[in-house]
Amino acid sequence: MPPVLLQALSRTLPADALLSHPVDLLTYESDALVHLRAMPGAVVLPRSTAEVAAVVRLCHEHGVPFVARGSGTGLSGGALPRRDGVLVSLARMTHIRHVDLDNQYAVVEPGVTNLEITRRVAPFGFYYAPDPSSQSVCSIGGNVAENSGGAHCLKYGFTVHHVLGVEAVLPTGDVIRLGGPTPDHPGLDLLGVLIGSEGTLAVVTEVTVRLLRRPEAVLTLLAGFPSIDAAGEAVSAIIACGIVPAAVEMMDRLTIDAAEAAVHPNFPPSSAVLIVELDGVEGEVRELFSRVEGVCQRSGAETVEVARDNAARDRIWKGRKAAFAAMGRVSPNYYVQDGVVPRTRLPEVLRRIRDLEQRSGLRIGNVFHAGDGNLHPLICYDESIPGQAERAEWVASEILEYCLDAGGSLTGEHGVGADKRASMAKMFTTDDLDTMQRVRCAFDPRSLCNPGKVFPTPRLCGEVPGPYRAHPIERAGLAERF
Amino acid sequence: MPDAATLQQVEPTAASEVADLLRRADTQGQAVVVCGNRTKARWGVPPQRADVVLSLKRLNAPIEHSAGDLIVTAPAGATLADINALLAGERQWLPLDPWAGDHCTVGGLIATNDSGPRRHRYGAPRDLLIGVEFALANGCLAKGGGRVVKNVAGYDIGRLLCGSFGTLAVITSATFKLSPKPPASRTVVVRTRSEAEARALLIAITQSPLTPSAAEVAWPDTRCLLRFETTVAAAEQQAAVLTRLAAHHGATAEILTETEEKPCWERHATSVRRHAGTLLRVGVLPVDLPKLLTALQSLASESGLRVVAIGRALLGAVLVHVDGDHAQTAALVGQLRTRLKSANGHVSVLATDPEVAHATPRWDEVGNPAVQQLMRAVKAQFDPRGTLCPGGGPGGLT
Repeated sequence: MPPVLLQALSRTLPADALLSHPVDLLTYESDALVHLRAMPGAVVLPRSTAEVAAVVRLCHEHGVPFVARGSGTGLSGGALPRRDGVLVSLARMTHIRHVDLDNQYAVVEPGVTNLEITRRVAPFGFYYAPDPSSQSVCSIGGNVAENSGGAHCLKYGFTVHHVLGVEAVLPTGDVIRLGGPTPDHPGLDLLGVLIGSEGTLAVVTEVTVRLLRRPEAVLTLLAGFPSIDAAGEAVSAIIACGIVPAAVEMMDRLTIDAAEAAVHPNFPPSSAVLIVELDGVEGEVRELFSRVEGVCQRSGAETVEVARDNAARDRIWKGRKAAFAAMGRVSPNYYVQDGVVPRTRLPEVLRRIRDLEQRSGLRIGNVFHAGDGNLHPLICYDESIPGQAERAEWVASEILEYCLDAGGSLTGEHGVGADKRASMAKMFTTDDLDTMQRVRCAFDPRSLCNPGKVFPTPRLCGEVPGPYRAHPIERAGLAERF
Repeated sequence: MPDAATLQQVEPTAASEVADLLRRADTQGQAVVVCGNRTKARWGVPPQRADVVLSLKRLNAPIEHSAGDLIVTAPAGATLADINALLAGERQWLPLDPWAGDHCTVGGLIATNDSGPRRHRYGAPRDLLIGVEFALANGCLAKGGGRVVKNVAGYDIGRLLCGSFGTLAVITSATFKLSPKPPASRTVVVRTRSEAEARALLIAITQSPLTPSAAEVAWPDTRCLLRFETTVAAAEQQAAVLTRLAAHHGATAEILTETEEKPCWERHATSVRRHAGTLLRVGVLPVDLPKLLTALQSLASESGLRVVAIGRALLGAVLVHVDGDHAQTAALVGQLRTRLKSANGHVSVLATDPEVAHATPRWDEVGNPAVQQLMRAVKAQFDPRGTLCPGGGPGGLT
């Protein structure tokens, strides 16, 4: 971290917006993927787009990398700082700038939490649809970076379907606007590629989100099944009926036990539970819901509990949403994996995971978005036992292999970040990655914006694809690979 | 642009042939124009140069449907009709109803991001595309996304290609997420007495629990078409609720059953599906829709042009067809832009005659100089030699 940059930052920002003392920097060492840590060179806490732009422009001038961070809830190390770089925390940009209910949109700063948007418009009967489990703390800027989904994305889609526009600071410090509340902006859909780019293309400083009318009716059931396979068959049968539930979530015995220990949701004593939620207009929901109940019974459900009121529904969801954190009740340490398989391949992949559980000697809890094949195996280990942490990491990577073997994806919602970048080459060819790198080079030719994330082997822009050759600016000692 | 009829047209049947052809053209400095079934042959800006016409229409099999996963993978030359015919057996569909009708190809759908009334519920191609395979100008075959509906690994190259008008890469195959085909449909045709009433009614609909699959406005015979596609009982119930809501706002409403609604929607679509004249894509805030229609009314009556508009009333996405004198048409486009500017609206000329194109810009500005520079940089990264449809990109920059 060049002292001259620190001085320039301190001249540009208010005194309370720049942290460089090691004690102050500790908080920012990692995001929610805590085993990857790095002390940032400095942390800035801008309050405005102008301040973000000023910081980024200075970084650009000094050739210093920068990493944007929202609430730090990311699970792939996307906000892992650089020792030689500046961490840009958007935590102070928390204003909801504008709400327009007639046109169903809101304009918010990136540090606003996902749930805060819904809270603001709920009195008028509206909400913001994507609902990641961390929605009470995760920021909308982070959601844009990760293209966050949530339990209800089966029906409602991801962040990319609900963000109409952004204001962003390019790695040069230039401020741009992409999209907006009116549809069909001319030009390339750069908004579509910026969302989900994990903070590697620009720093988003304002987000225009679509607001939805609360559905008239929501019906939720909790069904206990004698096995994961039986629960999986129920999901297939629901889809085969032509029903797209708002959410379909599955938990196995180990995660049920953990949730029971933590938040007592009163789940049935079954080997697997399924949560199915339907929403929409009253008549439609009631009609389809009775079919879902019938499907669950026919698929061998041991119990079917229909949430009678909001309190019962909240209790069921509390059990599901607490599942990750609750693993702490049944295991000293755990590793959360995020992989996707085509939904029809779930039984086969789950069988392989059970086999792996036996071979590895580590317990693996399974909680997943069953409607879209997004698995979240929770691998239990005890780091005080030598070798277990490494074995857990091995198990996690094996599971990813199973997902890829089945034609799935490395990540459904947690992102690649620093954690899975080495695995990208297993899912994508060199030419696939090179195409992504072309986008990167258009936005960030000097690789200053969150470098070391997403890509397995970062290329320098202007490099000819193919076997490694030193880039001219590397040979001149002006850049290095990391 | 040279006359397309005199150009060499190639019709590869495999992605590898597409790649080989591009590699050769790129090396030899030839410009390549990409097409499918030419259902939108007049769309977009004619390229500055063209040596080879690359038609993907024979790259049309196989279509792979995975019903249990609610996805379909189709090669670029498969048509929407082909795909939906296959899916119908499993009571699923790719719920797109683009301007061009269902004989458009997958490649053309993505390249133009063409959509129709059902965009209201299901979105445009960019919202349904989950994976794409393509050939770059340098002859590399690559992919983005995958074959699972939930996937955040890597950049979303598919979305970048949506609406890129064939200027970044040549799409060879695409995977879409699907929906179950609803068992029933009802359409309600609503006529209001004034634009103010229409505005009030549309806001009332957004604040109601109704979940239409399409919410259209049509003009100059001003009416709204709302479609409810769900179970029989729910479709009928929603149609009845809307009818009461309309009456409350002083409007008349007529409910059409499945057999009655079909010709109504066909008329609606074909009112702007014209292969002559000028087609505009206009984006406004939904509440400004009456303002747009008032502007069209006065501009049409001043100029004597024949103007028709249809659009997604609750999204503010409108298609306007203008027929008549070229100079008057260009003037109308300019005046429309002026009137919409203060309301953040914008006007893109999707298809027109050269005389109009010379007299008015095709696109509003895509953004500030940094955005313009960024779009040029993306094109330069993907196609550094300007091989693919040079000058034909959206926004006029690529």
